[in-house]
Amino acid sequence: MLQSAPALEIRELTKRYDDGTLALEDTDLTVPDGAFFGLLGPNGAGKTTLINAVCNLIRVTSGEVLVFGEPADTLAARRSVGLAEQDINLDRFLTVEETLVYHGGYFGMAGDEARARAADMIETFDLRAKADVRTPKLSGGMRRRLLLARALMHRPRLVILDEPTAGVDFELRQELWTYIRRLHEEGTTILLTTHYLEEAETLCEEIALIRDGELIARDTAEGLRERYGGNTLADVYVKAMGMPVP
Amino acid sequence: MAQLDSLRKQTADEPALAPAAGDVGPADGLGGLAWLSRREILRVWKVWTQAVLAPVVSSMLFILVFGVSLGGRIREVAGFPYEVFVVPGLIVMAMVQAAYNNNASTIYQARSDRYVNDVLSAPMKPWQMNLGFNVGGIVRAIAIGAFLLLLALPLTGVGVAQPLVLVPAVLFGVVLFGALGTVVGIYAEQWDHTTFISNIVILPLAFVGGVFYSIDLLGSPWHELSHFNPVFYLVNAVRYGFLGTSDVSVALSLGVTAALAIPTYLWAQYLFTSGRRLKA
Repeated sequence: MLQSAPALEIRELTKRYDDGTLALEDTDLTVPDGAFFGLLGPNGAGKTTLINAVCNLIRVTSGEVLVFGEPADTLAARRSVGLAEQDINLDRFLTVEETLVYHGGYFGMAGDEARARAADMIETFDLRAKADVRTPKLSGGMRRRLLLARALMHRPRLVILDEPTAGVDFELRQELWTYIRRLHEEGTTILLTTHYLEEAETLCEEIALIRDGELIARDTAEGLRERYGGNTLADVYVKAMGMPVP
Repeated sequence: MAQLDSLRKQTADEPALAPAAGDVGPADGLGGLAWLSRREILRVWKVWTQAVLAPVVSSMLFILVFGVSLGGRIREVAGFPYEVFVVPGLIVMAMVQAAYNNNASTIYQARSDRYVNDVLSAPMKPWQMNLGFNVGGIVRAIAIGAFLLLLALPLTGVGVAQPLVLVPAVLFGVVLFGALGTVVGIYAEQWDHTTFISNIVILPLAFVGGVFYSIDLLGSPWHELSHFNPVFYLVNAVRYGFLGTSDVSVALSLGVTAALAIPTYLWAQYLFTSGRRLKA
């Protein structure tokens, strides 16, 4: 029964911050299990708020968030989600290896299992030379790799990537997308936000457009192009967001 | 590509995905608590010169200067040589400052750099997060207290007269100030806010809390006012544990310290449970 539940089900989600800002209002969204789903919108549209609601990082005003059928604030749901945040948020006291091992521990992995998995992730993300280096001493690219490795460390069924390639050079971006594509092929559900529209068009099976806290459209890239009469997703984005046509 | 081969190997040899949601048992999150506690202790260990050595050295200087050097010029206090009398209070002062500073800084840094999200999003219960974040300050304070006792023992001959009082007194004290550090670290909007409480509240309260003197030596109204100082009760409970003497009833000292420690810890717990100040 659990296997057939959507990876993510959001019902009438509203989030009003303490300063009165309404970030999301009665938002509904369903992401099927195994999907590669894109969430596009300008800065401040509510993408990160939505992600934080799924990951138990904000106090939701009203509504319901289910992860594989379980309420998002339950331990069961949290074990199923891996998050790579937009901003680099690595523990400054830990080395690369410790970052991964401790994350695994927080998510319930035993010591030996966490160390073995961390060794694999270090290998996979080409971090071996820096395994014993503390995170503040890593380059920007290395930090981004580590952030992604940490998100995948506990083998989540739903991986949320919030602008994972922001500020990343072309080569590393290609490399990261190769990892993520393979992960998706192996059955992991991916929820992606990105400002690189061509990436979303290439990678995502379905895309939702969000503006001012509301989901305004949801379809395949092709469906969105047809609906908005654009040749590219960039055309769609410009029209959907009400931006002046260049 | 070696990296991709490696990724494939992981998912082929091991379970590719997290266990199904229904697999969570009643003991879940305890592993996370253990790792968070370990992380907090590791943090202390990585900066041990600053976290443990420095307060031990400065407290030993107090013992040497105020106790051993000046002690010869001061008559006995409460029936004990002065260098013996000051040791319990100095140990308390070092421990409560360490417990507070450690926990205020660890949670403030975690919030400021936002790696607290790695814990908040983990499958751990709020009480496990609270306890895990508090462990570092408690361990650091007890380590400092133990080192100071070991060093003071041959210098002053101070002993432990009432261990059954000393143990709960120390535990209530470090929990009180460790939890206070956690609360302040969660509320603080800038680093200065945490140091303000340490320098303007805790340190003065410790200095006028009977660390260096018995309040029986004070005239009115200072004698009476000392009874409104929570550190006074902690100092006296710990002094009773070491020396078997106290300015007030040991039951009252333990009771007041516990009565402050429990709600302060519950305050920290409330912040983790509600997410207030930790989650937007």
